[in-house]
Amino acid sequence: MDKSLHLNTVIKTHQITKEKDLLDKHIQKKNEVKEALEKEYGNNVYAPFNSGSYAKNTAINTKFDFDLVSPFKRNAFGANGTLKEMYEAVYDFLYDKYKNDAEVRKQKVSIGLEFYADSDGDKIKIDVVPGRELNQDQYKDDENLNLYVYYKYGNIAADSERIKTNVQSQISNIKDRADKEKDSIRKIIRLLKVWKNTKYNYPSKSFFLELITIKAFDNGAMTGSLWNKLKTVIEYIKDNITNDGFTLKDPGNSSNDLADTLTDSEKQQLADDMKNMLDRIEENDENIKTYFPENPKFKEEDKNSYNTNGGMPVPPPKLNFG
Amino acid sequence: MILKVEKVGLGIETEDKLLNSLVENGKSHYPNEFGGFLVGYYSDDNRYLHITNTILPKSFKASKCSFERSTKGIKKKLDTYYKETPQKFYVGEWHTHPDNSPIPSMTDISAINAIINNRNACLANPVLLIIGYSKTKVDFGFYVWFENKLYRYE
Repeated sequence: MDKSLHLNTVIKTHQITKEKDLLDKHIQKKNEVKEALEKEYGNNVYAPFNSGSYAKNTAINTKFDFDLVSPFKRNAFGANGTLKEMYEAVYDFLYDKYKNDAEVRKQKVSIGLEFYADSDGDKIKIDVVPGRELNQDQYKDDENLNLYVYYKYGNIAADSERIKTNVQSQISNIKDRADKEKDSIRKIIRLLKVWKNTKYNYPSKSFFLELITIKAFDNGAMTGSLWNKLKTVIEYIKDNITNDGFTLKDPGNSSNDLADTLTDSEKQQLADDMKNMLDRIEENDENIKTYFPENPKFKEEDKNSYNTNGGMPVPPPKLNFG
Repeated sequence: MILKVEKVGLGIETEDKLLNSLVENGKSHYPNEFGGFLVGYYSDDNRYLHITNTILPKSFKASKCSFERSTKGIKKKLDTYYKETPQKFYVGEWHTHPDNSPIPSMTDISAINAIINNRNACLANPVLLIIGYSKTKVDFGFYVWFENKLYRYE
């Protein structure tokens, strides 16, 4: 079995453009929420923007994550307003506005809106990430934001008040790196997301997988087929994630360590899963299909066929063989 | 025998009886190479090739490591097959490699290219069967030309 051929098919069947209608619905809903936030907060909010995988071009069509970052002004919730007050106020606003149309949930650093299924059975999910500039009017210069941590996030304690980051840097870092490495990094990230989607509620965030893939690429020569590259990244995760001192710097703020978004036992689980995956695929190539399945909705039968160019084929008059 | 090129999703099917007769014909010319024309038809979805018959050349030159055939005198047989149901036609070529493996030589690949580039041949995916044999062993190497590459059926 050609594992790289299979992996390319997996990527092909997970192309986001194959779900154009669903994508359009997400974009439309994201714009609605953005306008609602701008209307509610007026001059107290800068233009909310999408920071999810779609913005970074690493999305797959079985899981859309539209993260709408809302950069609030420092004094939007009062000169002495806390990040917690910002988070609660945005939650209250979204809950009041969408309680009849969606599940509104408090999440790690965001507020999740999961709209009830429409007439096509499609559910639109938008995560609103409230952030606050560090000082009044500073955001337009440095794009830095403080986020509120609502509940325990790996090794980051709940109610720890803030994660300082620069979301625009996060987006451009991944986008630029992925562009530079042509499609290699992007393909591996998409494949790891496909794998993550085979698990229910897996603790590692997509952002974590994006960063660790880039770090693996930085670690050494990444050559060979798509499978060889993926294998190298999987081995890198397996061999490094549980090491003391292993860090994953947030491109938006090097003081943030994304490795902290997983607890020690979650890191061990990730390392074990990587090892098992490699062992099973080593035992039998076919097992790769379990870990990296095609999206059955878009599985295409091979369209190749024998062709004649019309008419009765006649052999060339003279041919030599050796 | 059913074989497939997984990578491109194309298959072939052929009767053992036909293969045995090719081997017998080939061996009868030992130590020289020998070969002929393959005849068959494609499945309705054009994904399987059924190789049903061979036409042996009336005129040929051969040595231990070369084989040259001509099409003299085969037109009538091709016409007859073409009138059958299902309609059968020329689909490729076969030849032997006495005391050797069924791996295509550069000359074999040139021959395939000659078929592709021959307007009358009308074949986009000609098949090449090489029968490598020794006193104790027979190996079949089935190949198909697909998108500028030769693939082996397995």
